[in-house]
Amino acid sequence: MKRIAGLALIAALTFTSTARADMKALEEGAKKEGELTWYVAHYTSEGAEDLGRNFTEIYGVKVNVVRTTAQVAYQRLLQDIKNNQTVCDVFSSTDLGHYVRLAAQGRFEKYVPETTPKIDPVFQNFDPAGFYHTTAAGMVTLTYNTAKVKPEEAPQKWQDLLDMKWKGKVSTGHPGFSGYVGTWVLMMKKLYGWSYFEKLEKNKPQIGRSINDTVTALNAGERQVAAGADGSTLASAVRGNPLAVNYPTDGSVLIISPSAIMKGTKHPNAAKLFMEYLYSVEAAKINAKHFGIPMRPEVPVPPGAKPMSQIKVIKPTAAEVDKGIPEVIEQWRDTFGN
Amino acid sequence: MTVVSPGLDGALARPRRGLAFDSTWILWAAIIAVLLFLVVSPFVYLVVTSFSAEGTGEFTFANYAAAYGRARYVDALLNSLKLGAAAAALAGLFAIPLAWAVARTDMPGRGLTRMLVLATFITPPYTGAVAWILLAGPNAGWLNRFYMLLTGAAEGPFNIYSFAGLALVIALYSFPYIFIFTTAALELVSSEMEDAANILGAGAWRTMRRVTLPLALPAILGGLIICFLEAIALFGSPAMIAIPARFNVVTTQLFQFFGNPVRVEVAAAYAMPLLGVTVILILLQRLMTRRKGFVALTGKGGDRRPIRLGNWRWAMFGYAMLVAALSVFLPYMFLLQAAFAKAWGRGFALDNLSLRNFHFVLFEHATAAKSVLNSFIYAGVSATAVVILTLGVAYIATRRLVPFAGVLGFLCIAPFVIPGVVLAIGFYAAYAPPPLALYGTALILILAFTTRFLPVGYVNASAAIRSLNPEMEEAVRVLGGSRLTALRRVVAPLLKRSLLGAWLLIFIPATRELSAAIFLYGPNTKVASVMIFDMSEEGNFEYLSALALILQVLTLPLLYIGQRALGRDFMLRRTAT
Repeated sequence: MKRIAGLALIAALTFTSTARADMKALEEGAKKEGELTWYVAHYTSEGAEDLGRNFTEIYGVKVNVVRTTAQVAYQRLLQDIKNNQTVCDVFSSTDLGHYVRLAAQGRFEKYVPETTPKIDPVFQNFDPAGFYHTTAAGMVTLTYNTAKVKPEEAPQKWQDLLDMKWKGKVSTGHPGFSGYVGTWVLMMKKLYGWSYFEKLEKNKPQIGRSINDTVTALNAGERQVAAGADGSTLASAVRGNPLAVNYPTDGSVLIISPSAIMKGTKHPNAAKLFMEYLYSVEAAKINAKHFGIPMRPEVPVPPGAKPMSQIKVIKPTAAEVDKGIPEVIEQWRDTFGN
Repeated sequence: MTVVSPGLDGALARPRRGLAFDSTWILWAAIIAVLLFLVVSPFVYLVVTSFSAEGTGEFTFANYAAAYGRARYVDALLNSLKLGAAAAALAGLFAIPLAWAVARTDMPGRGLTRMLVLATFITPPYTGAVAWILLAGPNAGWLNRFYMLLTGAAEGPFNIYSFAGLALVIALYSFPYIFIFTTAALELVSSEMEDAANILGAGAWRTMRRVTLPLALPAILGGLIICFLEAIALFGSPAMIAIPARFNVVTTQLFQFFGNPVRVEVAAAYAMPLLGVTVILILLQRLMTRRKGFVALTGKGGDRRPIRLGNWRWAMFGYAMLVAALSVFLPYMFLLQAAFAKAWGRGFALDNLSLRNFHFVLFEHATAAKSVLNSFIYAGVSATAVVILTLGVAYIATRRLVPFAGVLGFLCIAPFVIPGVVLAIGFYAAYAPPPLALYGTALILILAFTTRFLPVGYVNASAAIRSLNPEMEEAVRVLGGSRLTALRRVVAPLLKRSLLGAWLLIFIPATRELSAAIFLYGPNTKVASVMIFDMSEEGNFEYLSALALILQVLTLPLLYIGQRALGRDFMLRRTAT
């Protein structure tokens, strides 16, 4: 991975002048095409709309934003494919499994953004074959209700959730409904074996659907500690809700969300230009404003969050996610009963 | 004499069939064609899909084996059936006494009760579910805290995360169906029949049980069926409550067939038995109402006087307010708190108050305000289309104007029970690609809403038409008018309040329809329900509450009109003429 990244960097530096010329051509081509359609499950819906609008302001190319959940976006895309419709130009899901499958079926147009070397190295060259690229990321962290739990008592590492003192006080999402939760379960199993969840069950966690249901459970005071998403928790905390995030010492689970250009796109230049835009400083700033992790290291992280460089992160590979998540969903249902 | 014996009813309805060509046949044919287009094309697609192998499309039973080969999946179906029965029974318990009290008695606050029932109905189920989690959550629910404060007990008795809790929440937000159907039917019943029962020695209670309510039976059963079917097809409330309560229902299970790897074929197969359930329900309803006459509107008018309840009227009023407290007052305390809060997790505090959420939703958010407008337009157009279409179908089916008219009725009911997420796939396949090419247009949403709410319109229209004595239409025919004239000049005007009620009953749930809309909306046609779902996905309860309240306030004028229209004629004499 590192070597490939290095090569890409050298290549990018050598060909900067040609790259610039390419970008000009891309811009002109995109303007002629006039628009693109973006199926997106990243970000909040407001965040996605902001990005689309900002792109239009810079390049004069309209973005049709269809922001929805990963499953719905994928299902819509499959229906389009089945009915021979090319509607979507850029596909941004939060579920890595979608990319593994679609890439294997040859549904993507290969394109490596010129701007890749400028983003945080953690996110570079996620797909060595160059079909899909990290464009958003979030983390599963420990979260808690600050009105009920003092910072020094709050869990510091994942194993702390198994402490008997949290009996009836833990909240999680469901891996069958949330890719974030699925990835978290996968990583916990990898670190501590499935017995982690058998022990967790003894604490009778409240299982919501989405990972963001933990925000509701904590805010309502129904539960006190959770495995929650950093973004939505911090966004709620900054409004004044009694919430805080602890980055676990044994590793925050990094969730990589890629984007790809669809094969047969009617707006190839606009789609490529949009991929470049997603790696720009402007896009990173908008992303951070909506409590996402900025792709560009020079853009400050959202209020309350820690920069990637200061925390330990763990992440699975795309193949692990594709194979592992359906397995852990079954195991989860055996252990927790639904 | 206002009730016609069933034998006579049937005899009068039949003889037209097979007679000379009637120009209105073109109309019937058109109605049937529209129905086939709306319902049959997506359904055929779904049925074919359920028998197709993934990828190759070859014929197979494997999807059914996959869908029903595991105890876990079968359990989910059984849970749904139980849930439907429990929710419908509870909803009946809320709705029928209130409907009787509002339509037939001198209970105080009848108009208020009507308004509150309609207000219940425009509450998006998701927000109702969240409010009830705040009320009856086992650890921090306010009802539990209050109970502990009063009794000093260590824990409260309520747990919303249970089968009973889910049934209650669903019943609270679907009982208006039964209420509106039943009041509409009861208001047509003339006091003469109750007088006759009184003269023969029956008391008020016995009269209600043996005379008044049985006359409204088709409406009551129709309402119960709609509640039952809605409880099975709902996704929002089960997702909030059943998952933490650790049990699966059809919709939460279906959702997982759409996870990676997607198994659309299995999902389609999994949903098919629900059609069988619908058939059984319709047959059951027919069996229960077969040998009775329900004709209450004869054109001869009749007195309609409220029954005097004496002191019981306050008890009845108390019950109405109890139901309203459960469905409106208590939940809205939390909705208001969240909508006006900087941070809802901080609870009730003066320095926590803010109008920011409203400002954000109305003026800053890129699509929220537009989504509300879209919802209103699409729901309005769909509701109008459904009312007209189902009036025609119910008329054809009830008066048996074409062979196999009963099948048409079934076609109208079927779309309700197939969960929207599966139905949407059929809609997409039928309407989105060429030749129609409706992808991303407003029309595809309107068609989907129209199809999805045909059952509500149909149940209402068919109950209403059964209350009409065919003599009145026969009179038009004798005087040389066509069936169309009879329909337009006699049937529709007589049923206008009932049809307006149906319009509201379709309009309101159409503004909150989510499961089909989420697959079909395009960049410019986002609707409020999708917006609310997004906000719930993001854990944004403050914005979500503000948007729900805006929807509520905008619907208020409609409620006012609806309440006036629905309740207006009760005290007038000779309403039917």
